[in-house]
Amino acid sequence: MSAGQFEVVALEGGARLVTAPMLDRASASLVLMFSVGSRYEDERLGGISHFVEHLFFKGTQRRATAKEIAEAIEGVGGSINASTDKEVTSYWTRVPRDHVELAVDVLFDIVTNSQLAPDDIDRERLVILEELKMYQDLPQDYVHSLFEEVMWPAHPLGRDIGGSLKSVKEIKREDLTAYIKGHYLLPNLVVSVSGGVGEAQARGLVESRLGLPANPNGAPYQPAPPGPSKPNLRLLKKDTEQAHICIGVPAISYLDEDRYALDIVNAILGEGMSSRLFLEIRERRGLAYDVHSFTSKHRDSGYFAVYAGVDPGKALEACEAIIAELRRIADEEVPLTELAKAREFTKGRLRLGLESTNAMASWLGQQALLTGRIRTEAEVVAEVDAIDPARASKVAKRVLTQPLQLAVIGPFDSDSAFRTLIEA
Amino acid sequence: MAPSSEPLARHIRRAVTLVNSVADEAGDEEITPSEIAEAIRDAAEAGADAPEKVRRYLLEALDAVSDGMPADYVAMSLYAALGALREA
Repeated sequence: MSAGQFEVVALEGGARLVTAPMLDRASASLVLMFSVGSRYEDERLGGISHFVEHLFFKGTQRRATAKEIAEAIEGVGGSINASTDKEVTSYWTRVPRDHVELAVDVLFDIVTNSQLAPDDIDRERLVILEELKMYQDLPQDYVHSLFEEVMWPAHPLGRDIGGSLKSVKEIKREDLTAYIKGHYLLPNLVVSVSGGVGEAQARGLVESRLGLPANPNGAPYQPAPPGPSKPNLRLLKKDTEQAHICIGVPAISYLDEDRYALDIVNAILGEGMSSRLFLEIRERRGLAYDVHSFTSKHRDSGYFAVYAGVDPGKALEACEAIIAELRRIADEEVPLTELAKAREFTKGRLRLGLESTNAMASWLGQQALLTGRIRTEAEVVAEVDAIDPARASKVAKRVLTQPLQLAVIGPFDSDSAFRTLIEA
Repeated sequence: MAPSSEPLARHIRRAVTLVNSVADEAGDEEITPSEIAEAIRDAAEAGADAPEKVRRYLLEALDAVSDGMPADYVAMSLYAALGALREA
């Protein structure tokens, strides 16, 4: 099997194993991905997916403390971590290839044998509450959460992954155990292994450790509501030195056939120092310290947005200039030279991003879990190469003409001038 | 948080900042484990009369630095100390 190839096998109980041998590498990476995240939570349990992820690192029956878990992997020079998102929670480790059995053992141990000791729950609750408070004190980050509240009001997709101070304070041990029982199931699991380990070896190591229940159905999530049909705005008044702006529109799912075309539009508009927004808003007009665009895609929803950190006195002008760029790319076909540059940027970033074994394991595992179909790097590159100016224009028109949504944090008493801008 | 706890909270926050800049690999100057340990010791001294939980979490953070544990791990203990102080 050569680099870039992979195999997917169905395991007992409904779990799936993805292997991507990169036999020239000294490392092996293992990722356990579960289809659970903050969109599976109701409001009372906001943040419970993230809470569970933290608690899994606190101790198991065989490794009683967080320190023992960390030392098991750190002791061989490896690293271990986890992340919670809206639809996926991932636990990963990267170790020297001859320690892959240890990596498999530790990761399965933490997700199947966690102690959930009351003292650990109390301690971790304090940690998460502090993280939430710290996050709310970082307006450049927090404005993104406000924007998602505007996009999906009163829906789990619009809530912060970490939950609210209230929900995290009130989550009980029984809630945690019930949540784990309802979601940490074999059919919700993809195991992805990449690096200096072959498929047969990986399969042998994983199959003997599938100790999770095989119940067929985990608890479902609420479908996303239709995108907002009119402009909406949320202003948080705060005495910050910069105004933090997140402006965007409802967009598309990661299953949509236009997703790569939207990525190209995103690259043209706001990724990197030669993007339109960077050149126009920052370099030419000096309106922002930082400006970039990004997309967020979920199974049945998504958005396209622009973040800008600006002098408060220039916030309205910056918003106006950003809106003008969004309209320009929706109205005027992108020149072929600019499109070709964006294609190279996108392909180059993909290739560089997949150099490491843990990036490859995560990329393949996430596709298997979320879409049920894995595209190779070569397939994605071919799809990107097939995007021409007409296709980019089509998706720009389809997405960027949707009603504008805006979140602002800054020293403003009134939102009326911002409202006028997005309603124009 | 009681006003009398504020100096201790400042010490803990300073230690958190140092640890986070190691975790994020930020900053121009390399921060050494000794500097982090010093900041945590300062916090522990300022918190000599703090609730037991706060002192326990600070000592855990100090042990973690001595044992060469990852920065994230040290930060978690410091956040727990800050949270316990806020609760007191």
